[in-house]
Amino acid sequence: MINYILRRLFISVFLLIGVGLVSWVVIQLPPGDFATTYETFLMNQGGMTQKEAEAAANRLRAQLGLDQPQWLQYLNWMKGIVTQGKFGYSFAYRRDVGELIGERLGYTLLLALAAHSISTFVGIFVGIYVAQRKYSLSDNVASVIAFILASVPRFWIALVIIYTLVFKFNQHHITSFFAPQYALAPWSWEKVWDFIKHVWPVVFIAGLGGVARNMRVMRGNLLDVLGLQYVTTARSKGLDERRVIGRHAVPNALHPILAYQGTVLPYMLQGELEAAIVLGIPTLGPLFYESLVNQDIYISGGLLFIYAVLIILGNLISDMSLALLDPRIRYN
Amino acid sequence: MAATDLLIQKEPQAAQRAAADDTLLREVEAHESYAQLVWRRFQRSKAAIAGALLVLGLTVMAVFADFFSPYPLNEINLQDTSIAPTVVHFVDAQGRFHLRPFVYAQELTIDPKTFEPKWSENTDKMYPIEFFVQGSEYKILGLIPSRPHLFGVEGDGRIHLMGTDKFGRDLFGKSCQAGRISLTMALFGTLISVTIGSVLGVASGYYGGRIDDLIQRFVEFVNCFPQLPLWMSLAAIVPRTWDSFRIFVIMAFIFALLSWTTLEREVRGKVMAFRETDFILAAKEMGASDARIIFLHLYPNSLSHVLVILTLTIPSIILAEAFLSFLGIGIQEPLISWGLLMRNAQNIQSLGQYPWMMSPVFFIIAAVLGFNFLGDGLRDAADPYATM
Repeated sequence: MINYILRRLFISVFLLIGVGLVSWVVIQLPPGDFATTYETFLMNQGGMTQKEAEAAANRLRAQLGLDQPQWLQYLNWMKGIVTQGKFGYSFAYRRDVGELIGERLGYTLLLALAAHSISTFVGIFVGIYVAQRKYSLSDNVASVIAFILASVPRFWIALVIIYTLVFKFNQHHITSFFAPQYALAPWSWEKVWDFIKHVWPVVFIAGLGGVARNMRVMRGNLLDVLGLQYVTTARSKGLDERRVIGRHAVPNALHPILAYQGTVLPYMLQGELEAAIVLGIPTLGPLFYESLVNQDIYISGGLLFIYAVLIILGNLISDMSLALLDPRIRYN
Repeated sequence: MAATDLLIQKEPQAAQRAAADDTLLREVEAHESYAQLVWRRFQRSKAAIAGALLVLGLTVMAVFADFFSPYPLNEINLQDTSIAPTVVHFVDAQGRFHLRPFVYAQELTIDPKTFEPKWSENTDKMYPIEFFVQGSEYKILGLIPSRPHLFGVEGDGRIHLMGTDKFGRDLFGKSCQAGRISLTMALFGTLISVTIGSVLGVASGYYGGRIDDLIQRFVEFVNCFPQLPLWMSLAAIVPRTWDSFRIFVIMAFIFALLSWTTLEREVRGKVMAFRETDFILAAKEMGASDARIIFLHLYPNSLSHVLVILTLTIPSIILAEAFLSFLGIGIQEPLISWGLLMRNAQNIQSLGQYPWMMSPVFFIIAAVLGFNFLGDGLRDAADPYATM
């Protein structure tokens, strides 16, 4: 068991190094480097001549170590992340990328996890409900809805929500976490309610696809389990149906859902990303999009790295919790 | 006597032989090929048929977009900008019913207070909708000059089923045309990912051992990457100064880059299962080469599953492409895709004024639903021996 966990951790470290490498490549791929961007910035905004700007850019190169070979730069970048949480410097914000990410990471995770847990609960309950009524009207309606939910572009749902909120209900604070009067206020129940009023579209959109998936998986599993003999035994003992379902069938149908708890995290993060960009909710999503448009490369690379780390962590946690919960799993 | 005897003697034999022939024939008839079984199972699902029809319909609309669009596709008409979708009427202002649907004339009025241009219906002038009208000339498949359009109105009437955009382009016709890029992009990206997935999957499953280990670790590594963010960052790196066709090809490769892993796993599983079966062992005993075994025996047997995953990969690429183009980091003008057509809706002001800018989404939903239904039906049909 401990061996298994250690091995998984060991593999994860290698994956992280690889993921960091790819993020670094993404940072390096655009023509020119950070100092080139700085140079054009100085010429356009600072009014410097090309010579002055070039000199300044070269000073910056030496200062940041951009004149060193690629592999050394990569090592320095990784070292900065691991030891100091420094991801590089953002032009648009004129701050360290690590700080920027740190500010927004909490909210992003909160929204993604909220979407995740809500969609899991709703999906499981709807799945249990329709599995008991196989091929009935409610079952068919639920599967059709699930199918449609999986086919509708999330950015369009976000657009529709914006349109209805702004132009039909005249609610104007959609692009922030709080209404202005709560922005600086200490946490209170009103502030929490205000927060929910602002972020529900993101949670809703990110969770929609998850509901559909969880529902289908839960329905399928429960139907499989309900066909097993021990369920028949339980029924013939004279147990009432609720007990048969609740105590005997459902716990054994839950495993596959547990198994992909970790793998579903990227799905939620992507849903959050897509919804937050369109809705303008200041989480990691819009930061990522802006950085891509402005070629603010250290943010793009840093966020790519963070997203990958979250996925690796999610997989790790799900594998481990499954190993702890299910004694049947072998660790090699 | 003798003759009749002979006849009597002969007859049972002939009858027997005929009966034997008959059962043999019936057996031959009763044996259905794999394709027939799949087709029969596929037909049972109405959703799958509907999906296939949707996909077919969208493809036809994309290929013959000039015919389906009432107006020339590449016309920019700055007089007819941002017209709301034309309402098709059956009952006129006097309450009379018309069997042939008609549209009213659209007139531009300027709001005296806000100076906001507004289109409104003039109920005095009505134009019946005609089918197969002679309109602007276009070339079928870029070759055959032709004039008829599926529908349209005569005279100075205009019909825009989904409204027009800020360049006065008919959004319905444009959406038909955008299907060309959106669908080809998805298909092209999927084909690349199928190629990568098949090659690696066969290699992994057939050779096993170290190669398998190596490829599986690589798959795990690729799976670590969040698809959407990586797609976005790679797409954003593509220089906007490149010509649009090059961007198109690169985008297809970017989408393929992360989509092949599911297929690889599936092919690997299939190949591994078949590798130990008798017919493969027999082929090996007879000295068949690896290439022969792979291409003649193993891969064809996993082809049905490849087809299923192919069908299910297409909608995910359609959705991703639409989102990226909507954000402006995907397909570039002059090429157009469904997502790109919706780009104007990103501006909250034009979204409020012209909500019909979102209308190309119906094409996206139709395509994704179609492929999903089709793929689901194919998945059930691909294994026709399983009981349902």
